[in-house]
Amino acid sequence: MVFTTAMMMVRSRGPDEFWRKRKIFKIAAHFSGRRRNCYSIAIKAVHRALQFATIGRTIRKNDMISLWNTRISAGCEEHGINIHNFKDSLSRCDIQLNKKVLADLAIWEPSSFKALSDLAKSVSIDYNLPGADKYEKPTHVVTRGLLLK
Amino acid sequence: MSELGRVKQWNTFARCWHLFDATWQNPLECAPTIEKYLKGFHKPIYHPFVDCGDHVVVMNSKQIAFPGEEWRRRVYFHHTGYSRGASWTPAWILHDRDPTMIFKKAVYHHMKGNLFRRVVMERLHIFSDSNVPEEIMENITNQIRPLRPRPKPLESYSKKEIEEFPKIIDYPNDYVLSKN
Repeated sequence: MVFTTAMMMVRSRGPDEFWRKRKIFKIAAHFSGRRRNCYSIAIKAVHRALQFATIGRTIRKNDMISLWNTRISAGCEEHGINIHNFKDSLSRCDIQLNKKVLADLAIWEPSSFKALSDLAKSVSIDYNLPGADKYEKPTHVVTRGLLLK
Repeated sequence: MSELGRVKQWNTFARCWHLFDATWQNPLECAPTIEKYLKGFHKPIYHPFVDCGDHVVVMNSKQIAFPGEEWRRRVYFHHTGYSRGASWTPAWILHDRDPTMIFKKAVYHHMKGNLFRRVVMERLHIFSDSNVPEEIMENITNQIRPLRPRPKPLESYSKKEIEEFPKIIDYPNDYVLSKN
């Protein structure tokens, strides 16, 4: 069968039925019951699943961000510094580590994270950030006010 | 896994026990702090699917404090499941019946409801007074800082301190200050 015009092409049922259905069944392969084997039920389930997947792509990012925030605040709490002061001080020093890296440092590189928190403490004391008066100035961080901008 | 790695993992995932003195603390304010330790938010290794929370022992739950009219206004609802089985109990009556219940409910209702909530609650040990069993007390390694300072009662001031306290007027001799 030859389609002479583009209009006829739109009206056609597309590729061969077997291959068209196979595309859907491949997506529905891990579903349970008849949602996996019956096309008319599978197509509904696949449609729903793809909608959820679209939403999930946004939710996954938000979940990861909140997880990183929890981990960073836990790491900050271990060293007695407020997370807001910590992030504020790092950005004032042009330390451009993102949340993921900071969270990984808090887990796998505790001493590096402690060094960062000590730096953040002394910087927040230099800038007199809110709540910085409670911090003890770390003795091994020498800023001499040079980090002030 | 090497021996060092194994020991590191044991130490990382070991459960700690925290002590919290609930004297003069507001249970509704305490709930987020207690939840933090129960679920393990205070550890950098936290993950929602990892069971990395700690145990929290709360003592003196009979001495909790509510602000203002809360003891009279706060009402706890229970339904037996049968018709006309609903009951509403004011907080002060519930506290008389079970001094640990208000604190437990405050923490329980603060946490988001999911399948882990009852498991996490098993790690919360509440005692109405300071008589904590020895087998629990020997595990404790940390004390959670109280959220608000404990006010000093008038009885604890010495007579000299009360007399020396600055005052504007002297009460007349026939003025009744208190009945006792």
